[in-house]
Amino acid sequence: MEVSLAHYLAVSGLLFAIGMAGVLLRRNILVIFMCLELMLNAANLSLVAFTRFHLVDGLPNFNAQVLVFFIITVAAAEVAVGLAIIVALFRKMQTTHVEDLNSLKF
Amino acid sequence: MSPTGPLFYLTLLPFVAAVLVMLGSPARLVSRIFSGVLLALTLALCVQYDRAAGGMAFGSELPVSESLDLSLRFGADGLSLAMLLLTAIVTVAAVWVIPPMQDRENLFYACVMLISGGVVGAFASTDVLFFYAFHEVALIPTFILIGLWGSGDRRVAAWKATIYLGAGSFVLLLGILGVYLNLPDGVRTFDMTFWRNLPQMQPDFSLPHWVYWLLLIGFGTLISLFPFHSWAPQAYASAPTPAAMLHAGVLKKFGLYGMLRILVPLFPEAMEQYLNIFLILLCGNILYIGLVTIAQKRLDWMLGYSSVMHMGYIFLGIAALNEISLSGAALLMVAHGLSIAACFAVCGVVRERTGTLEFADLGGLAKPMPRLGLLFGFAAMASVGLPGFANFPGELMVFFGAVGAGEVFGPGFTPSAIQIAAIVAVWGVVISAVYMLRAYRRVFFGSMPERWARLADVPVFTRYAVILLVVALMVVGFLPQLLLQYVTPSVLP
Amino acid sequence: MAPWILLFTPLVMAAAILFVGLRSKTLAAALAIGGALVTCVISWWLFLQPDPITAKIDWINLGAILGPNAPVDFAVPIGLSIDALAKSMLVIVCTIAPLVFIYSLGYMAHEEGYCRYFAGLSLFLFSMLGIVLADNFVMMFIFWELVGVSSYILIGHYFRRDSAAEASKQAFTVNRIGDFGFMLGILMFWLSTGTFVFADLAVENAPALATLGASPFWLATACVLVFCGTIGKSAQMPLHVWLPNSMEGPTPVSSLLHAATMVAAGVYLLARLFPVLEGSPGALTVIGWVGGITCFAAGLMGIQQNDIKRILAYSTISQLGYMVLGIAVAPLAGVAMFHLFTHAFFKCLLFLCSGSVILGMHHKQDIWEMGGLKNKMPVTFVTMVIGGLALMGFPYVTSGFYSKDLIIEFAYEAGWPWFLLALGGVFLTAMYTTRLLVVVFFGGPRSEEAKKAHESPAVMLFALVMLSIPAICAGFPPIQKRFFEIDHPHHLPGWVPIAIMVVLAVGIVATILLYRGGPKKDPVLIPFFANRLYIDAIYAQIVRWAQDGTAGALRFFDRWFIDGICVTFGAKLVSAFGFTLRFLQVGNIQAYAFFFGAGVVALLYFLVAR
Repeated sequence: MEVSLAHYLAVSGLLFAIGMAGVLLRRNILVIFMCLELMLNAANLSLVAFTRFHLVDGLPNFNAQVLVFFIITVAAAEVAVGLAIIVALFRKMQTTHVEDLNSLKF
Repeated sequence: MSPTGPLFYLTLLPFVAAVLVMLGSPARLVSRIFSGVLLALTLALCVQYDRAAGGMAFGSELPVSESLDLSLRFGADGLSLAMLLLTAIVTVAAVWVIPPMQDRENLFYACVMLISGGVVGAFASTDVLFFYAFHEVALIPTFILIGLWGSGDRRVAAWKATIYLGAGSFVLLLGILGVYLNLPDGVRTFDMTFWRNLPQMQPDFSLPHWVYWLLLIGFGTLISLFPFHSWAPQAYASAPTPAAMLHAGVLKKFGLYGMLRILVPLFPEAMEQYLNIFLILLCGNILYIGLVTIAQKRLDWMLGYSSVMHMGYIFLGIAALNEISLSGAALLMVAHGLSIAACFAVCGVVRERTGTLEFADLGGLAKPMPRLGLLFGFAAMASVGLPGFANFPGELMVFFGAVGAGEVFGPGFTPSAIQIAAIVAVWGVVISAVYMLRAYRRVFFGSMPERWARLADVPVFTRYAVILLVVALMVVGFLPQLLLQYVTPSVLP
Repeated sequence: MAPWILLFTPLVMAAAILFVGLRSKTLAAALAIGGALVTCVISWWLFLQPDPITAKIDWINLGAILGPNAPVDFAVPIGLSIDALAKSMLVIVCTIAPLVFIYSLGYMAHEEGYCRYFAGLSLFLFSMLGIVLADNFVMMFIFWELVGVSSYILIGHYFRRDSAAEASKQAFTVNRIGDFGFMLGILMFWLSTGTFVFADLAVENAPALATLGASPFWLATACVLVFCGTIGKSAQMPLHVWLPNSMEGPTPVSSLLHAATMVAAGVYLLARLFPVLEGSPGALTVIGWVGGITCFAAGLMGIQQNDIKRILAYSTISQLGYMVLGIAVAPLAGVAMFHLFTHAFFKCLLFLCSGSVILGMHHKQDIWEMGGLKNKMPVTFVTMVIGGLALMGFPYVTSGFYSKDLIIEFAYEAGWPWFLLALGGVFLTAMYTTRLLVVVFFGGPRSEEAKKAHESPAVMLFALVMLSIPAICAGFPPIQKRFFEIDHPHHLPGWVPIAIMVVLAVGIVATILLYRGGPKKDPVLIPFFANRLYIDAIYAQIVRWAQDGTAGALRFFDRWFIDGICVTFGAKLVSAFGFTLRFLQVGNIQAYAFFFGAGVVALLYFLVAR
């Protein structure tokens, strides 16, 4: 069986769905954060797949791969900032459960 | 056209001062020097201006967006120069009256210089969008000044004025965009000179009337046209003295200047068609606000309302739309700016010394503070339109212009609406005498509560500031021709 | 050049006092008196010049700015015109002013605000000269306002007294009401004739007036509107209330401004306008009635006043009424001007005498605290009697007789009502003047101050003596011929002059009989007159209810309707909307994420799928 673009996209979609479900349903903010990363990587996966299957003159279109590297870099930075925020939050609130972080409620 | 020019640097001057002050240089010294230089340069520009040739001079253009034809355009004709001179004089006076402060002195001075810079930019720019934007620049420091250093209910006053003026500015912006979008294809530009000349170049060109209303309400709010006036008294009452001087004295003139520059030339038909509504509104300014002013119980509120009332005369000058009345209106713009600034300066000293501005608590202050009493006398007399001060020739020409704009005398003569409005305006002179003299009498004359017996007289720099304003008023009052040479050729649409 | 020096010398002196003179009383007084003497010399020199003198500069001239092709040619000149009328007025002002200035040296010697006082007087002299010299309406209006403000400053000299502060405010405001009409009149003339220069409006140069003259109604309206200026400045009914109150000022001020010169400016204005007024019988009728009623009603109020200066103030109003009536009834403006001329001297004299009495009485002004002063203050007594006789128009030997009787005789020719009002005025004048003289100078002293009264310093008596000379002889025909061109009534029955004298004699004798023997308090009490016909009270109520009431109601409306309901309530509506939106802030990050995701999906749907 040849692995086609559709397979990659299916896996990517599945990953994204898992990530989204995690973001929406899990209570621990660290897990939510990881699920967020999962969604980003789902996007990366589909981008790489598009590159592979979108040939121009026999060569892949590398624009999307460049985008992937951007995403990875930015995600790394984002993780650093995000984790810092979470650590600061934990120090202040002594919790990582999102139900307890509701001070923005009216 | 060169990208920068004298007006560009003139506008930059107060902003540089503000930045320097914020960076920590000695605030008082820097502000005084820069405002002095601003005044000197403005005077130099006035002298340099070729009155015989007329028209826009000192032009410069720094392109910002080719596709929108938006550029940082500067240029000045006689009217702009007169307004710039007014701004420079009031700035100098406002900087001089700032009392010594304990903390955040630099922020205060920076805000004052920012207001001045914004106003200078607005009067010097000939690009409508920048003209608008410079005014907004001046509004923000006003907000800060009222909010941080105001008196009384300062938060409410600051928010109210800012939101009200912001809303007015927003309507004005819609109006400006309305004009821009209705310009013929291919000549869409924000060039104010082009806008002004458009009706003459293309006589069949006309704009939809909703744009007129947007501009009228927008400018009207900024000038406190009845019934969009209620921000003014409260804001002036709360504002610290220099902010009130700059706002009532010059920032308010932005709207009038805009009316003369944009509304009047672009909407000759609409001005005529809606003349009666405009006349009713301006009579509201004179008669209704005048009576409300009489009933005020505090000096600062009274002055705030009086400045709203005096706008009525200028509106009348604009409504009459002839050389005499428009020259008079321009003269009054300068005169009112100087006289109300002087009034607020004196009012600030009274507040500082006594801690109250209620008429009921004051009285007889001319005994402990004779100099202040004399200065207020000058300022009050100027603002009631006594001959010898600039307000009088202004009011006189507005009256003559308004009467002349109405029906020509002949058999079966009946006064037309604008002539009746002129009668109301002449009665307004009586009303302004009533409230001004009442205030003068209640604050400075009559029996004095014992606790005011040892008040110190006016601080020396405030005295110089008011003298500067009064001297300017008297120079124009004795020789109005001096100023008319500048404004008259450039006020006509 | 001389007219300009004449005009601006007092202004320069006022400014000099303000800048350098405040430090030294002597310097301030010297500057002011020096300025007044300079104007006196120049004015007499100008008076002796045979021809009219004119000078002109442009104050506002739009035509010069906009070039020859300008669509409008609007110019306001500051022009001086010294014709016969101006010359005589000039001499009156500039002769009396130095005397009053010198008198002030004595009167004000121990008062506070000495320098301020002399600066105010100099400013007044400048403004008054401006009125006299003006060759057009606008310039006259300018100086009209300036005399108003000098009067304001000087009435409010004792600004710490509430009554003085109120009086000065009232004087300015009431004058402004008159000026409202004056300004409208000027606008009316300008609109219909295109000019406000007196020379262009004179009947000989009729073209300018042709349009306006064609419609009698509007011509009369314009004239009456300008006459409103006179009503205000010359304290005619119904705007007379400020003049008695202006007596709060120092006495020399009352004498110079509020008796001799400033209040007469209204009559001078009418004389200037006389060529135009002649063409409008309607306007003359209004003017005549105002003058007639004023001269009678002010007399009524005068006979029951107790303040020495207020009595004289009502007498001034009454005499100004005669002058205004004179404008209406006589064929020449010279008749009214002649009375202005004589009145200026004797009324100024009377006020200065009263000042001398007040000073001798240690600033007591109630005549019922005086009495028997004739021996203690002989010079003042003699001069005041001279002034009083002139005021009553004592036959043949006083100046008032020649000028006032002339007006009454013309009033007889013009109509019975005016004649009766004028004749009644004679009777009332005789009454209040005699009452004043008898109560103050005869009988016994009624208070401690009266017992200790003393004669005033020589510098004041000098002015009194100097003024009593013209008070006697200014009306004699040779002098009158030199100053004014007048005419006598041609068809006057012989009994009219005799009737005037009889009425006068009856008034004097009746008053002497009433007040003889030095009564301690007024034997005649008529509250209606003493309360000034309740006009002041009515005005106070009008101001209170009509003006302040409306103003208060509008203030309430402005605060609570415009600012409250329209503005603040509008702002509250917006914030209520914002408050409602707050319920969407559930405070759960996952809910926000869900909204966000749903939003993205919805956007994608609208942008891509549709």
